[in-house]
Amino acid sequence: MSAHFIERPRGTCSLGGATFAVNALPGGIPILHAPAGCAGSFAWAQNGGSALQVGGNCGPLAIPSSNLQEHEVVFGGDARLRQQVANTLKVVAGELYVILTSCVTEIVGDDILSVVRDFQAQGVSILGAHTGGFKGNAYQGYDLVLQTLFHDFVRPAQPKRGKVNLWGVAPGLDPFWRGNLRGVRALLESLGLEVNAFFTLEDTLEGIRAAGEAELNIVVSDVYGLEAAALAQERHGTPWLATGLPIGPSACGDFLRAVAGRLELAPAVAEAALRRGGRDYYKTLESLTDCYQDMDLQRYAVVVGDANYAGALTRFLAEDLGWLPELTVCTDPLGPEDQARVQARLGAVQGFAPHLVFETDGSEVLGHLNRRWPNGQGRRYHDSFSPAFMLGSSLERELAQSLGAPHLSISFPVANRAILDRGYAGFRNGLTLVEDLVSAIVAGR
Amino acid sequence: MSGYDQKVAPRREESSGYDQKVAPRREETSCYDQKVAPRREDRLKSCIALSGGVCGMGGRAKGCMLDDGERGFTQGSICLLLVALAILDSLPETVVLVHGAVGCGSCAHSQNANTRSGGAARFGQGKDAIWLSTALNEVDVISGAEGKLKEAILEADRRYRPKSLAVVSGCVPGLIGDDIDSVILEVQPQVSARLLPVHCEGFKTRIWATAYDAVYHGIGRSLLEERNPDPARAPLTAEAEQAQRVEQERLGRTVNLMNVSSMGRVDELELERLLQALGLEANLFPVFAHPDSFHKATRAALSVSTCPTHDDYFLKQLQEQFGVPYLIKRMPIGIRNTSLWLKDIAGHFGLDAAVERLIDAEEREVRAALAPFRELFRGKKVYLSAGEFRALVTAQLLEELGLEVCGIRMFHHDAFADDEYGKLAATATQDYTIGVANCQPFEEANLLKKLKPDLFLGHVNGNGTAARLGIPTHTIYNTGLAYIGYRGAFEVARRLHRTLRNPAFNRKLSAWAELPYQEAWYGSDPFAYLDQRKEAL
Repeated sequence: MSAHFIERPRGTCSLGGATFAVNALPGGIPILHAPAGCAGSFAWAQNGGSALQVGGNCGPLAIPSSNLQEHEVVFGGDARLRQQVANTLKVVAGELYVILTSCVTEIVGDDILSVVRDFQAQGVSILGAHTGGFKGNAYQGYDLVLQTLFHDFVRPAQPKRGKVNLWGVAPGLDPFWRGNLRGVRALLESLGLEVNAFFTLEDTLEGIRAAGEAELNIVVSDVYGLEAAALAQERHGTPWLATGLPIGPSACGDFLRAVAGRLELAPAVAEAALRRGGRDYYKTLESLTDCYQDMDLQRYAVVVGDANYAGALTRFLAEDLGWLPELTVCTDPLGPEDQARVQARLGAVQGFAPHLVFETDGSEVLGHLNRRWPNGQGRRYHDSFSPAFMLGSSLERELAQSLGAPHLSISFPVANRAILDRGYAGFRNGLTLVEDLVSAIVAGR
Repeated sequence: MSGYDQKVAPRREESSGYDQKVAPRREETSCYDQKVAPRREDRLKSCIALSGGVCGMGGRAKGCMLDDGERGFTQGSICLLLVALAILDSLPETVVLVHGAVGCGSCAHSQNANTRSGGAARFGQGKDAIWLSTALNEVDVISGAEGKLKEAILEADRRYRPKSLAVVSGCVPGLIGDDIDSVILEVQPQVSARLLPVHCEGFKTRIWATAYDAVYHGIGRSLLEERNPDPARAPLTAEAEQAQRVEQERLGRTVNLMNVSSMGRVDELELERLLQALGLEANLFPVFAHPDSFHKATRAALSVSTCPTHDDYFLKQLQEQFGVPYLIKRMPIGIRNTSLWLKDIAGHFGLDAAVERLIDAEEREVRAALAPFRELFRGKKVYLSAGEFRALVTAQLLEELGLEVCGIRMFHHDAFADDEYGKLAATATQDYTIGVANCQPFEEANLLKKLKPDLFLGHVNGNGTAARLGIPTHTIYNTGLAYIGYRGAFEVARRLHRTLRNPAFNRKLSAWAELPYQEAWYGSDPFAYLDQRKEAL
């Protein structure tokens, strides 16, 4: 880690993460109060990082943006923003417009909320969020959008039995966001719950407006969206449960029990769901048994990923697949509290003691591995880090090559895979992950 | 075509007379003494918000510039920082340090694919570009980040040991007043990399082609001096003198072939092949050029642009400071334009007879090869959208293939391409709409619904609108596909032929996918928001 720079930052800025999020809301239209280049940066970040998914409701270069110039920097951009919003309503069809600020407008100090209020007074469905890029990374932008929804959009309501909200997987930043949300939704529905997940095709703006009716907010992340969870509790009184991203049958089982426990469901409900999911998983996995043994498919592994994937993939490899994930690298720049939560999640892994490092810079991973697992220096008999597998982003390809290890891109950036609907969270999606890992090993067969 | 709703922007006679063949004016040669390259709005009177007809654009007095407009509704686009990184990320043994918020430079995730594939094509191995961000935060914004930048440069130099390190500044340093040039001056003696300041404060110019000037400005100020000069250049022995004579002879037929980041190796090979056929050698520059090899550009016999929008700033410097003459008139896309491009070069070296033989043979061969494709193209209407020069010459290529151009949009307009409008106006069967916009797909959606072309060629991330409307599309550049020269003409034809043979992806998509526009918008004048922005000021 450097104190002065981040190497190849994974993701983009808070405005970018917020733009992805709004663009994935049902009928959501972002209005960037920003210089012209921000939208392009996000489009190209998606192009190179989001596994070939670019755009959203509106995009990639169709996103309304005030395209600020020096004039607005000197004299303020309020008037230009008002003009842009008024014209956006005439040109762009949406159900919920969200003004998002940039570095420039935050420094200039434009009062976007008064613009928002004036348009709301005319009956326009519009919100605003302060997402200036220097405020944080893209995951924070995602969190800010959820906070804005809970602060300004979700209507006050009494909790209804069986309703939950689900978040913690950020559109675009997790290339598997659709499949992961669907996978977790399926888990929750197997408990008989009604789920609002904000960003999937099953969700509606009306459902989001009614998000205050949830009994519980479930955040499948130890970092992403926690501030929104705290705000939702404060404003709507909804308690929240943060879990890891449930990848693999062990994590899915724990997830079901944890949710059922918090909602005080009859224990039999969770156990039945767990048995059903586990049975489906293992009845299917079973057909791999011979080859898994005969082809010696157990691997040492390095896991490099964001705060969600670092822990979730490591746990799956250790507890379910029976691999040896000797080094886990979390590439998010996190504060001490976030780090502690990610660390605690890994500390709870059963039967294997993972080693977690916080490191934003991919080129430093090999150094961490060498310290953890010294190389043989030409010794004839050496317990080498082999056979190995590299789970990470597409930026880990060169490292995988130097280790002689197959590689799978999962965490942003994923430049070398096309992902649309695939996910790894949930029982059946765990099988998909097994397929992808083993396929990478046997690709030359 | 009906020529509906056309607005011809007023002309600006007072700024006429720009002619790129004239030696640079005094104030231009002094650009490199400044810290920052001037904006193209000021230097070239470039503009981005116009509409007009091809006949009007083609019929203007040469060099007559137009007043730029403004839009009252705009969509996000790109800025010069993205374009600059596309070049800088390609340079081997170079670290690109973006001084800005963490999102500035996230475009590099896409550009990294080009760095990898382009490196593989040129050096046998593709490697990830090394880009870093100072990831400015709220504290930095309040207290300034020059200290952070300085430490970042020192640490990056230690960690990566690059030959050059480009410091690219985004909007935030421009707003908080960080002086990156002073920081670079201060730390240069302490680092082994050559430091290259590249100013890319996006809000300062809306002509993102200013990026080319910003990059060349940094190169011109920092990288042209030779490091560890070749000992053969200081003749001591007879052998060394002989080697120097051979080298001089070689340099006498070496051409700086100015490549662009959108150009794949396959296009470079085509141009190298053609130059070699004339006995000329190409020094490819600046994309994928090694920073320690940049000085070679100062010794070539001639510099030749492959995209006039790209290179004028640097070519003038090479002429002024190093006496390297230049050609900046054409883009070798399409059969005729490739031949004209070659003729200009051959003319400079007195190779007129040789080039006639070459062109004759090449044209005959490629035209024969194109014959089987023509039937499917005949009479099909095509719409193009891209950078000005590229769009205009690709339009001519498509006419050569038998397609009929029904509209063109350019990202910006300046004087370099004036001749190309004239050529298109001469071949147009009827006047068609020319739009100048930094993307703005809402206008495009409106136009395409009215024009209903049979084929659309657009820039990267610019084909989605047409695709969702069910129009067969082809990307007007994809680094790695062939577009340039005679080979490019054939390969474009081959790709368009297969695009048209099965456009099912777009056709089926259009039945379900929606563009994000209000239905009423399609009934409006496509340029209804042009020139409205002044009302906000």
